[in-house]
Amino acid sequence: MPAFKAPAPGFAVRFSPFHENRLLAAASQHFGLVGNGHLIVLDLAAGGPGAAPAPVFSFPTSDALFDCAWSESHESLCAAASGDGSVRLFDAALPPAQNPVRLLREHAREVHGLDWNPVRRDAFLSASWDDTLKLWSPDRPASVRTFRGHEYCVYAAAWSARHPDVFASASGDRTARVWDVRDPAPTLVLPAHDHEVLSLDWDKYDPSILATASVDKSIRVWDVRAPRAPVAQLAGHGYAVKRVRFSPHRQGILMSCSYDMTVCMWDYRAEDALLARYNHHTEFVAGIDMSVLVDGLLASTGWDEMVYIWPFGTDPRAM
Amino acid sequence: MMLTCKIYSTGSPPKPWERSGGEGTSGPAPFKPPSGGSTSDVVEASGTAKPGENVTAAERNVAANVNSTVSRPMPQRPWQQTGYGNTYGGYGGSNMYSSYGGYGNTYGSGGLYGNSMYSSLGGGYGGGMYGGGMYGGGMYGGGMGGYGGYGMGGMGGMGGMGGMGMGPYGNQDPNSMGPPASPPGFWVSFLRVMHGVVNFFGRISFLVEQNTQASYFFMTAMLQLFDRSGMLYGELARFVLRLLGVKRKPKKGSLQGPEAPMFEGPNQQFIEAPKAGNNWDNVWGN
Repeated sequence: MPAFKAPAPGFAVRFSPFHENRLLAAASQHFGLVGNGHLIVLDLAAGGPGAAPAPVFSFPTSDALFDCAWSESHESLCAAASGDGSVRLFDAALPPAQNPVRLLREHAREVHGLDWNPVRRDAFLSASWDDTLKLWSPDRPASVRTFRGHEYCVYAAAWSARHPDVFASASGDRTARVWDVRDPAPTLVLPAHDHEVLSLDWDKYDPSILATASVDKSIRVWDVRAPRAPVAQLAGHGYAVKRVRFSPHRQGILMSCSYDMTVCMWDYRAEDALLARYNHHTEFVAGIDMSVLVDGLLASTGWDEMVYIWPFGTDPRAM
Repeated sequence: MMLTCKIYSTGSPPKPWERSGGEGTSGPAPFKPPSGGSTSDVVEASGTAKPGENVTAAERNVAANVNSTVSRPMPQRPWQQTGYGNTYGGYGGSNMYSSYGGYGNTYGSGGLYGNSMYSSLGGGYGGGMYGGGMYGGGMYGGGMGGYGGYGMGGMGGMGGMGGMGMGPYGNQDPNSMGPPASPPGFWVSFLRVMHGVVNFFGRISFLVEQNTQASYFFMTAMLQLFDRSGMLYGELARFVLRLLGVKRKPKKGSLQGPEAPMFEGPNQQFIEAPKAGNNWDNVWGN
């Protein structure tokens, strides 16, 4: 399908866990530095096959949006991480006048990452530049818990795909930390890279495997049972790796995007790990996702204000 | 909560990975078995919940000091010192006092941000709304409201402007018994604008930081290349000088020329042979 032109540089995309044709995108004016943000829900099948995705919901916010996440419990509910330190919940089924349905204002600095618990489906995490993570439940007006320990901005959080109480966080203090929501301190502090860790994700098929992406241009895959050395190191990006995601459908398959303006697919267990490299974006790629409902359907967005959706193995621009 | 949408009893459809085996391909994970109930209940049952906790600059610094697991401490950033949003929005909040201590630390030790205006204030408890360190030691409103009296807006910034007038900020001092804050006036809106400016530069610096490392690698590689190529150049220069030396030697050898008839076969062979032999043998000598 053709690409969608967003009103501002894109920062994050997420496929809906409920509807295979729904995509959530967060965009921010002026590269997120200053200005408004936009939260957009795209319908990929709006004009039939081959037609461009159409926005079915669009909401402007007063500050930049850095990340977004779909609720796993309500089909039209989604969360957005804002540059003013707030987390906003939107209901795409409601008119804009009634949105955001909740404004959660506790972080002292920019919120940079969100992740909704995919196992228990009733809570989500926010990662902020104020060095903390917060756990929220959509039925509560305040956070359930604050996770402290990182010594610098926390850029991303990722729930384990198999354990309802375990998640990991990536921080600028060059560590990734594994947490259990029942424990006061992290269960594992992983000095993952020599530079800032920007993103991480769990292997959906192996609950001990974690991938981290860093400013040092590499992606490392770790086994949390043997954290001394990475299981694999994936080199190939030319600049900082902004996001990394494990495939929901195939074990060992990773997707990553980078400031080198490319999106890469990897199989960390293969000798020749790089499966594909897409250079369809003309600016920094800031957001990627893999559909949980359609095997091999990929999406990316970047600072060239484009949102691409394409099946693995095809050229995003040719669609 | 205004959730009028359809609610799935179990949330989103089953995930693809849930259809595969319970354990991973490489054996079980080292985590405690999951608890039952909702996430909020699980957290509350564990006793770790602190609902609705707001994060402030002062708390952050404490937390960073306590849990020092990384060997090298991360440097403080210009925006870390006050939590602009907090200090600003919550004039008179309890974190004013503690964030003052933060100033002393960072400004005093760092030296990056110009002279510390705050230390010279002595007991100015209401001090320091804004330390925009990046901007040339500029202090946007270093207050002296020790007694709830007055605040002083100083802006020694990029433009090199000196202290700029007085602001009505004395009463942010939590220790003072002054009247409540006056309604937002010019200075408040000015500081709000400055807040936006500081935020803007904060985000720029993040972006720069994430890309600087790569260009640093690149520059290092280039410098190493130059370094090595310098050695290579030296070797080449020696080689070329030797070759040039080759051309000088025939001038010495040309003394032999008049002695021997140049264009006769046997002599020509005689001259050629030693010439080649000598010169190439000595090219790499000494």
